[in-house]
Amino acid sequence: MVGRIAASSTTARAQAAPPAAHEDAAFDFMNLLAHQGLHNIDDESWNAYGQFTYISNWKLPFDALHTNLNGSPNSLLPTYERSFTGSFTLFFGLRLWKGGQFYLVPEVISEQPLSGLHGIGGAIQNFELQKQGSVRPQLYRSRTYLKQSFDFGGEPVRQTSDPMQLAAVASSRRLVLTVGNFSILDVFDKNSVSWDPRQTFLNMAFMTYASWDFPADARGYTYGVTGELYWDDWVVRVARILPPQDPNAATIDFRFWKFYGDEIEVEHDHVIRGRPGAVRLLGYRNRVDAGKFSDAIAAFQANPAENAAACDAAGLYSYNSQNAGAPDLCWVRQPNTKLGIGIDLEQHITPDIGMFFRGMYSDGQTEVYAFNSADRSVAVGAVAKGGAWSRPFDVAGLGVGMSWISATHAQYLAMGGVDGFIGDGFLRKAGEGIFEVFYSYNLARAIWLSGDYQELWNPGYNADRGPVEIVGARIHVEF
Amino acid sequence: MWSSSAGRLCQVVALAGVALVASSASAQQPAGGFAVERFEPSPAGAGWLVMDDLDMHGRLGGAMALTTSYARNPLQVSDGAQHLNLVSSQAFADFALSVTHSRWRVFLNIDAPLVVHGESGTVGNYQYSAPDVTLRSHPDTVADARLGAEARLYGQPGDHLRLGASAELVVPNGERSEYISDGTFRALLRALLAGDATSLSYAGQLGVHLRPLDDAPAPATAQGSELLFGAAAGAKLSVGSDNRWTLIVGPEIYGATALRSFFGSSTTALEGLLSARVEGTAPHGRQLRIKVGGGGGLHPDFGSPEWRVVLAIEVFNRDLYSAQVMPGTPN
Repeated sequence: MVGRIAASSTTARAQAAPPAAHEDAAFDFMNLLAHQGLHNIDDESWNAYGQFTYISNWKLPFDALHTNLNGSPNSLLPTYERSFTGSFTLFFGLRLWKGGQFYLVPEVISEQPLSGLHGIGGAIQNFELQKQGSVRPQLYRSRTYLKQSFDFGGEPVRQTSDPMQLAAVASSRRLVLTVGNFSILDVFDKNSVSWDPRQTFLNMAFMTYASWDFPADARGYTYGVTGELYWDDWVVRVARILPPQDPNAATIDFRFWKFYGDEIEVEHDHVIRGRPGAVRLLGYRNRVDAGKFSDAIAAFQANPAENAAACDAAGLYSYNSQNAGAPDLCWVRQPNTKLGIGIDLEQHITPDIGMFFRGMYSDGQTEVYAFNSADRSVAVGAVAKGGAWSRPFDVAGLGVGMSWISATHAQYLAMGGVDGFIGDGFLRKAGEGIFEVFYSYNLARAIWLSGDYQELWNPGYNADRGPVEIVGARIHVEF
Repeated sequence: MWSSSAGRLCQVVALAGVALVASSASAQQPAGGFAVERFEPSPAGAGWLVMDDLDMHGRLGGAMALTTSYARNPLQVSDGAQHLNLVSSQAFADFALSVTHSRWRVFLNIDAPLVVHGESGTVGNYQYSAPDVTLRSHPDTVADARLGAEARLYGQPGDHLRLGASAELVVPNGERSEYISDGTFRALLRALLAGDATSLSYAGQLGVHLRPLDDAPAPATAQGSELLFGAAAGAKLSVGSDNRWTLIVGPEIYGATALRSFFGSSTTALEGLLSARVEGTAPHGRQLRIKVGGGGGLHPDFGSPEWRVVLAIEVFNRDLYSAQVMPGTPN
């Protein structure tokens, strides 16, 4: 799977991030059947894959001038902490009829975040973490969807057998509709260099745009419909997906015409000096029941009784701040719109090395509704597989990312306000930075062991805190 | 003077009465939830809605199935004076997968609750809290998963008599308070029976449900391990001029009774479905099977609903050629 990172742009791709393509030479169930002559792995009517990933992170003690000041509860604790995730996933695919496919992905996850998943803006150290997860393993249905393709001719395109992709020969010109329960990252922002925390980087800043507030439930999945028009080197994708009923909550609001997230992405695939690459432009528009930072500040200034500590007593959905001297978004939630636009680049510079860049600007006027607190973000990095040092299934990567918040978001936090993830009670505004380096060692064909180091500057966009060092380890098994 | 004493006495009596009521209220016990659903779809590829046709054969094969069901009032609690539809609506989608080889089948069934709700209240000394599960509030919830294996021990596909056995482990998932799980591991061990004649199919089962959860004596709660039983029979009809499809129509009756109160009126569930299924008859390759059923509780209690409807679609692999070349398999 990891071995194909630098090779494929037609493959399907965990938490919200989909799985990467599996390695053709890997030991797995489908290859085993194919080698026994029991399965046509080039033209599949069904397939089944699985994976297990355990990620552990150790956060070292760091300096912080203030932590959870005046009852604001969303600081990253400056003490030593350990976090982990363990996930076990099965991927089932079934061809129903010509062009019709059905996918079911049950998953078990157990997790423990750092500081209750608080205190980090756009650079949460492990993208597998889910909001409202628990140490007790939970089985859930991450994806259940139907996909229908309509071929319009063009060149034949081979689609390999992978998790959430049945092997077949498709047309380079086709329309693909997807309906059901999925992650928007199964369809959009399919950067082939860096997207899966089970195989490459751990930090979410490198998995997709940190400031893309795409609608999803507390696990990172949603319901909706997407359309993809492939026309040779071009792809246009559109989607309407459903947001949670309350910000960052588990319940989905099924009022499809009232609250929603609309996404559009245009992709162009290219070849430069024989190396494949792609450019993607993505725009999103969320229509959700969210609070504006400026409204929360104005409400508090007009009536200090409308403070963060009074939300619970008023029966309003809040993030449990006890800061009576701070504004809170709970008082001003109403139908609001959030906009953002981003660009994603990927380019392979050798057969074994791929580079990526992602940058996004969101308006930063309304609170984080489903993803994370960043309002603007950039990330750049490189991933190399180990062919150059005779370990072709090893993978190494290095990335740097920054994210920022808007001026009004910063003013709200500086007054002691909190959003879904951050709020130290005071803020000295700064950009939040992340540096990550990892090496993934292929122990056997289907088993990888990884070491990871992350350094995080200004956690929660607060120049009075950090830097933070986080050491990580991962074991990943595919079958 | 008398009136003053009488007034004081009345006050004492009233206070005692209040104290008694308060004492009575505080004596009400909360009743715990459990896995109410009695309709456990058969393994993918096993033919019937609930029973098992023991038709495993050939080389490596498999099946996938999606079964949806809706049950009305599957869990009611009453003490004669008070009545509660504790679970009044219950709908599930069951995703099933199986792999077969020769006479063996391993299978996985994953239940996703779509709707589970009812009414809360007090009956007798017990306080019941109704579940409230919808796709909106629980967009990705999965109830207990069933992982099992079975074998045909006697007979061949198509024989008049086939005997087999199955073992199933129920892995707890979801919340007891939502009436979708016991919150404990469970096991089901069954002896299976099936057979075919020219125009008749039948199947049956007898087994035990090893259930650690026992909330007796509270009514409408789990009552420990149970005896499982069931039988089905159906007429086979060819459909289409080239007999590409077979229609099988007949009743399936199944139930469970708690071992602690064998066939007790409130510890026994008995349910019947009139089922019909259409399935492809081609000797090779992938086949489609569509199943519908409707019926209800013959003894509507302990998880058997007043009525139930079921719709299932299944894709399975049939490879009779391989079956025919297997040793001991009749042509």
